[in-house]
Amino acid sequence: MNTRLLHAEHRTVAVSAVLAAVIAGLGLLGLCYGASWATPGEVLAALTGAERSVVITEWRLPRVMAGLVFGAALGVAGAIFQNLTRNPMGSPDIIGLDAGAYTGALIAITVLSGTSAQLATGSVVGGLLVAAVIYLLSSDRGFSGLRLVVIGIAVNAMVTAVNSWIVLRADLEIAIAAVGWSAGSLNGVDWADLRVPFAVIAVLLVGMAALSRDMHQTLLGDAVAVTTGVALNRLRLLMVLIGVGCTATVTAVAGPIAFIALAAPQIGRRLAGAAGVPLLPAALTGAVLLQGADLLAQMLLAPVALPVGVVSTAIGGCYLIWLLTKEVRRA
Amino acid sequence: MFTRRSPGLVGALALSLALAGCGSSTGGEDASGESGETRVFTADNGEITIPADPQRVVATGYAVPVLIEADAPLVGISSWQRGEPLMSEEDLATYEELPKVAGEQAAETNYEAIAEADPDLIVIGVPAPVLGDIDVERLESIAPVVAIGPTVPSAWRELSRKQADAAGALDRFDAVQGEYENKAADLAEKYSDVLPQLKLGHIGEYGEVAKGTFQREFSGSWGTNIAEDIGAAYYGEVKEPGPGSRAVSEYPSVEELPDSLGEADAITYSVKADGSIPESVQYVMDSELWKNLPAVKDGKTFPIQHTEAATYGQAMRTLDAIDESFAPLLEQ
Amino acid sequence: MTPLGRTSEPAQTTRRTPRIGRVGLLAGGLVLLAAVAVLSIGVGARPIPPADVVRALFDFQGTDDHVVVWNMRAPRALLAVAVGAALAVAGALIQTLARNPLAEPGILGVTAGAGFAITLGSALGLAAGQAGELGWAIVGSVLAALLVAAVGRSSPLRLVLTGVALTAVLNGVALGMRLRFPDVFDVYRFWSVGSLAAREQAPLGLPLAAIAVCLVGAVLLSRALNALALGETVAHTLGAGVARVRALALVLITVLSGAATAVAGPILFVGLIVPHLVRRPAGGSVPWLVLYSMVLGAILLLVADVGSRVLLPTGEVPVAIVTAFLGGPVLIWAVRRYGAGSL
Repeated sequence: MNTRLLHAEHRTVAVSAVLAAVIAGLGLLGLCYGASWATPGEVLAALTGAERSVVITEWRLPRVMAGLVFGAALGVAGAIFQNLTRNPMGSPDIIGLDAGAYTGALIAITVLSGTSAQLATGSVVGGLLVAAVIYLLSSDRGFSGLRLVVIGIAVNAMVTAVNSWIVLRADLEIAIAAVGWSAGSLNGVDWADLRVPFAVIAVLLVGMAALSRDMHQTLLGDAVAVTTGVALNRLRLLMVLIGVGCTATVTAVAGPIAFIALAAPQIGRRLAGAAGVPLLPAALTGAVLLQGADLLAQMLLAPVALPVGVVSTAIGGCYLIWLLTKEVRRA
Repeated sequence: MFTRRSPGLVGALALSLALAGCGSSTGGEDASGESGETRVFTADNGEITIPADPQRVVATGYAVPVLIEADAPLVGISSWQRGEPLMSEEDLATYEELPKVAGEQAAETNYEAIAEADPDLIVIGVPAPVLGDIDVERLESIAPVVAIGPTVPSAWRELSRKQADAAGALDRFDAVQGEYENKAADLAEKYSDVLPQLKLGHIGEYGEVAKGTFQREFSGSWGTNIAEDIGAAYYGEVKEPGPGSRAVSEYPSVEELPDSLGEADAITYSVKADGSIPESVQYVMDSELWKNLPAVKDGKTFPIQHTEAATYGQAMRTLDAIDESFAPLLEQ
Repeated sequence: MTPLGRTSEPAQTTRRTPRIGRVGLLAGGLVLLAAVAVLSIGVGARPIPPADVVRALFDFQGTDDHVVVWNMRAPRALLAVAVGAALAVAGALIQTLARNPLAEPGILGVTAGAGFAITLGSALGLAAGQAGELGWAIVGSVLAALLVAAVGRSSPLRLVLTGVALTAVLNGVALGMRLRFPDVFDVYRFWSVGSLAAREQAPLGLPLAAIAVCLVGAVLLSRALNALALGETVAHTLGAGVARVRALALVLITVLSGAATAVAGPILFVGLIVPHLVRRPAGGSVPWLVLYSMVLGAILLLVADVGSRVLLPTGEVPVAIVTAFLGGPVLIWAVRRYGAGSL
């Protein structure tokens, strides 16, 4: 048992190191790639301040950083919900947080004037409201992760109905802009957009790191967790808050980027060969997925950039279909 | 806050292919011959200081066909599928040659490609709510940005004039406008005995078959504003006026067709650029209620092509189409 | 699909509703259905006095009022009856087959499969006309249903989750396609909210015939399903070919929901709620469950469709939004009542 645990630990460390290297590579690629290719030498010179390059330090760097940090945040949010619900489907985009954020954004676009600030506020408020409703509905007479998922699905369906109705009533141009927002995009983010979100995500991730030991205790079963002195309900509430916080922050800046939260924790788990859904591999995998998807989104139809959400959906879809066929073979 | 919908699946595929095949623009050398003089221009985004004589202009959205037609010094444009069916061959060639620096959606703006084009002015022609998808600050770090977006359907005249003015291309613009106005005056003369006394109604192409609605357009809407330039008189008004286009058109249920158009002497309806009838209009014309309308029983129904014209050049083609359509009136 | 946990298996109830009571209930349902149908023909944007509505139905004169009643509202009511019955019966069958009270065609990805196929078809320019759309919708829903059934057969919950996952994937990929082609987007955004409006000119003969045939088929197959519901060993001794019955039921489910989705767009939850509401009076008999679902599904959709016309003064709320708001709370109530853990 102990040796197995140790083995898993070693493997997690090794996998994390490999993922970190991949992240560095993708980040560098993101800085080099654009309307004109910059050599790694030029990129390094710009980063160290030896040369001035507005495009690299002010345009590409924020986008790359956003891809990595948001990817990690989504990966962690997904891992939190999957641990909480003990279900690989327990992800913010399945249980309606994204749909709620989309409702808020739609109202900002169609009713208000659709400035960036209104979009961000609307999406955060919408996501939080839906999260609160789902949590309240599913937390009666003790907590059940499964109930949370199914109720999330029901609420999601209702909120989605409202969303499609709003889109239906809007003029085509505004409808397409709204649906484009719902795919999520990192196009045009700059440092000014990122300061607050990065600070929020940093606080949330540090908080989660502090809770991670308790979280893994609960995975051994509620009874074990209680005996080791974990206050279950408080822990669950904190986890939900952190997960929702991460999702809402990313959504406010980039729109709801689907599937990263769903796929990253599961891929990370398989890579690390761990029990439960470990947080670090989930975060690193999320960063790799989102940055990779964003690079693809820029390259596929260059010079026009696709919304990154379309690419991440395709990647996540392939992963899910693979997971499903694997389950079929096992069944 | 009006927007125009895409007129059918024309060239969408071809354009995507063209887009995929079109490489990134080459950075031009600095614009020579810049006078360096500036002026203050009033746009949707405030009082903007722009070059008095811009040499390298980037245009997006509704500004694309306007500035191509006005021979503005363009160095990059967004793709603009909906305008393609209305462009003259020459303009379409220009449109296809120019480097594309943004997609159909504002969110697909490629900032680096715009920077590579090295413009001294950027003209954005999108509706105000879509501006949220654009990082205007970043564009402003490249060149002065003027946003001139659409408001109400008949405002394309003022809108296109402003866009051409910002880009310093008024000479050519005024010439085309003069041509249009002369032509409209001639036609108004030609039809003066038969057209002004008719009570007209218009069926637009933005009704929704899936909802069972039709679009009734009144004075000053897409389908009516150019015909009004030659003396057509559209009767009635919107029951519950809304903002933008909702002030001049409404979307009642087809069940209300007899109440809506029962008094019309004649009915005009929008058709696509190739003359075919759009699904939303065909749906109305297939209804038994349509066949019961007095104007239809009299055989007084007239198709109007190119109702989504948004430049004077395009509107000239609309005038030709209206002339052709109304010709039977003169024979009675 | 191995039985697992608490299921909706027929209670071997001793409180069997007497046969007369059941027939009486069915007759009552049919009377109510007729009444609601007449109401739905009377309600709309153009106010028509009830006397004229009746006259239009029995003595058609071709006036505007009569045209509205006979050419527009009557076909719409018929469509509501067919689509409601189809969805409810598909739901009853799939709940019986999957032994899962949470199963419904929409949640199982059938609807998303149809929507994805229609998006693909219109993007390729091959989904012209009703027949084309119906073909795409049926192919899409069959493939989606097969995939979901294959993956989710081991447990009722997995079935639902697989359906949700597949729905998410198909919707995501379809979204990518629609963002590339604004015209497809415009077509789809109206299809994507299920509605019964303005279908009166469409050639509905083919889908309605498919639905009628499958409804009869469902009634005929329901006895075999009854045996299946008692457990596989019992079914074997009763001589029902288990695999064949299952396959047939799956075909009926996909054709019913595919045809309904093709003509009306995605309408969620009808297939979920209706079987729940009639389960008690049906007393564990699958044939009665199918019959009651058929009648109540038609009534529910007619009522929702009338609601969609009168709820907002601004015009129509698509019927799918009415059913989502009727069905969402019922699903939440069901989860809290049954407890998701024991599903």
